[in-house]
Formats: sequence, structure tokens, C-alpha cells
Amino acid sequence: MIVTGSRPHELAAEPLLEAMFEARKQVFVDLLKWDVPVLAGRYEVDQFDDEHAIYLIVADEDGRHLGSARLLPTTRPHILDSLFPGLCAGEPPKGPDCFEITRFCLGRNQNAKARLETRNRLVSGLARYALGHGIVTFTGVAELAWLQQILAFGWRCRPLGLPQMVGARTLGALRIDIDAETSALLAANGIADRTQTGPVCALAA
Amino acid sequence: MFDRIDAFVRDVGGAASEDELAGLLEEICADMGFDYFALTHHVDIRQAPQPAIRLHNYPQQWVEYFDEQKLGPTDPVHRASHLTSVGFAWSNLPHMIHLTPRDRMVLDQAGCNGIGDGFTVPAHVPGESNGSCSFATRSGRPVLAEHLPTAQLVGAFAFEAARRLWRMRAPVLALAQLTDRQRDCVVWAARGKSDWEIAQILGISHETVIQHLKQARERYGVTKRTMLAVSALFDGTISFVDVLKR
Repeated sequence: MIVTGSRPHELAAEPLLEAMFEARKQVFVDLLKWDVPVLAGRYEVDQFDDEHAIYLIVADEDGRHLGSARLLPTTRPHILDSLFPGLCAGEPPKGPDCFEITRFCLGRNQNAKARLETRNRLVSGLARYALGHGIVTFTGVAELAWLQQILAFGWRCRPLGLPQMVGARTLGALRIDIDAETSALLAANGIADRTQTGPVCALAA
Repeated sequence: MFDRIDAFVRDVGGAASEDELAGLLEEICADMGFDYFALTHHVDIRQAPQPAIRLHNYPQQWVEYFDEQKLGPTDPVHRASHLTSVGFAWSNLPHMIHLTPRDRMVLDQAGCNGIGDGFTVPAHVPGESNGSCSFATRSGRPVLAEHLPTAQLVGAFAFEAARRLWRMRAPVLALAQLTDRQRDCVVWAARGKSDWEIAQILGISHETVIQHLKQARERYGVTKRTMLAVSALFDGTISFVDVLKR
């Protein structure tokens, strides 16, 4: 698992990032039919993919992208406060210790079993990254279809407001509180990194 | 209303027993304009190998009828809940599934037993039984659309709380693990191929295929090919896409 921050124009410099943007296009545009921008017909890149974004990427031994998530600092414009403020009953949570999870992506080049494994590595990686970097709260906008699965990870998750229909999708805002117990809560629900690839490492852009 | 949900989410997160959870559901059910709630895993409650979750405050006579008729796996509301991941009103059922004469009879019987309209929140967790949390009114009392987003969240968080209590009661057995080759054979078996055909497709010997499938059945503790395919689909070892794609 690699963590990095970069800009779209640096794509070529980092093959794993390129693979991630490509996988995001395959998942969010081709599969889920989101109306988001596509670069060069291949990469899903939006206005939040800037030098402030942090990417967590699960890769196989050969460095191929399996899954990824993007963390946006809530001290800057992010999806919940810029695009969907109405999903929060109050003010969206913000602060230097609060990051928004966006573009949770499981590559389509895997069978069901491998995809669950990647999902587990990514979720446990998010918790470990938070613990290692002083993040105590994650926020996120989720399609309601995924809510039960997100809750079943076992971490402490609460709604921030009532779900709403946005186009054909029902969206809800969530907050997840991370503390020393989180990894054990996740592990009790089978969410762990069984590949033991070592600690999450940071790769500077 | 959101403060009410916030409090409910905190309360169910700390619920230490099924009775406590049922009490919390009964209270919030009334606040949302419903009379009944039913939270369940969709298995025939009398046949299930593992203790399943079932909490409700339905009229006793309806529950007896439901169990006698073994409606758990075939109830039209439950069937419809397998087709969607977001809540739906029962009035939408005819648009979601084909209602057979028996389905119509079940719905009529519910009405005769005092149950009116309802809203069901499906609960799908990969590798576990499908479940749902439903809210219903007494006969003649309408479901209020303004409460449905609330019911959606309440259902999801209540189901997770029940799941947590259930896991504490009966730790889930480790999933059967198949080797990659066993898995390949199961995918083709699920697609209806014979052992000989699978051998040709995968380029391995007929005997090897027989051994792979035999060991896969042993890992799941089943004796039939059909049950092997269903078990592997159920826990996500193989996916519907793997089986159905052309």
C-alpha cells in the first residue's frame, strides 16, 4: 500500500497513480455511470485531485492497482461542503484532524473473492493511516446501497443527516470516528490486511 | 427529527441485549408513524443452522401463520428486498417482482391480521444471510413519505446493532477457503458443465477435476454439486457475474 499526493499533470511520473485514475474511470464512469469528468477518454480526474489530495492505493506484488481511496483535507473545499452540504443536518465536520474519504475504488480486474480481500486491505489501511497521521475523524458521502456494508466493517460510524435522492441515487453523509480501538473493531469483523505488507508508507509527490 | 436519529444511533450502538434493541425500535417506530417493526435474517427460522436474528412486535397470530406457512424464504417482501439495496414501500411490490397467486394471498393474510402498509430496508452484508428491517402500520393507516429517509437510516443502524449482538452470541465460523483451482472448477460447475467438460475447458485431467470438486464439497460440508455452487455464491467465493457472464 502506498500513500501519495500528486497532480494530474504528474500522471506519467507515477504509473500507479495513472493506473488508479484509469481504474476510477472504469468503476465510477463505466460501471456506476457517475457524471464526472474524464481526461483523454481514460482517466477520471476531478477538481479535487490536486496537491492537497492524499491517495491510499492497494497494489499487488507487481505494483498493479487493485484498489484505492482519496482523502481530502476538510480544511479546504471538499465534496461534502462543496457539492452536498444539504446532506448534513448541521455544519459538515471540519478540522486538521478530519479528512473526507472519497473515490473508494475496487478495481474491476478481480474476482469477487479478491475484491473483498482488496476491500479489507483498503479499509484497514485507512484506519492505520489515520492512526499514524493524527486523523480522528473521517467523513464521506456514500450511496445508500453501500451503507449496510460500511456499517458492517464494525468501526464507529454515524449519520450526519438524512439521506436524499440526488438524481437516481440516494446519498447520505457519514462520519467515522477513529481511535486506538478501531483496528480491533475492524478485525473482529474480518477486516484486516492479511497480506502483511508492512506499515503504510508515505511517498512524496 | 435528525436529533432523534442521532440519539437512536447512539443508543443502539450501546445496546447490550436483543430486548434492549427491540425496545429502542418500538419507541422510534412510533415516532416515525409506524405501529410495527420486524428485523430479520431471511431464513426459515426453524431450519437455520445458525441462530438467526429476529426481532419484531407483530401480532402473535400473524407470526404463527408466517411460521406455519414457512414464509421466511418466499415472503414477497423479503424476495423484493433481495433486488434492491435501498428501502422500498410495500405499495411498490407489484413493480419490483412478479406477484404469484400465493404472494397475493400472503399479502391479503397480512391485511386480515391487522397489518397495513409498510416500508422495508434491505440489509445485505457479503457472506452473510440477507436480512431486512421493516416498519408497518396498522390496517387503514397510511405510511407517511416524510418519514421514509428516517426509516431508511433507522433500519440500517438497527440491523447492524442486531448483527453485532448476534456475532457476540455465536461467533461466525471461518469461511471455507478454496484454492484457486478448486474455485475455477466450482465456477464452471455452477455454469452447468460436467466434470469432463470442465477438464477440457481448464486443460486438466478428468480425475483432477473430480478431486477438486470433491475437496471443495468437503470444505463446505455439502454433498451435492448444486449446494456447493450455492454455498460458494453465498459467501462471495464466486460471484453471480462469474457464473452468468457469457
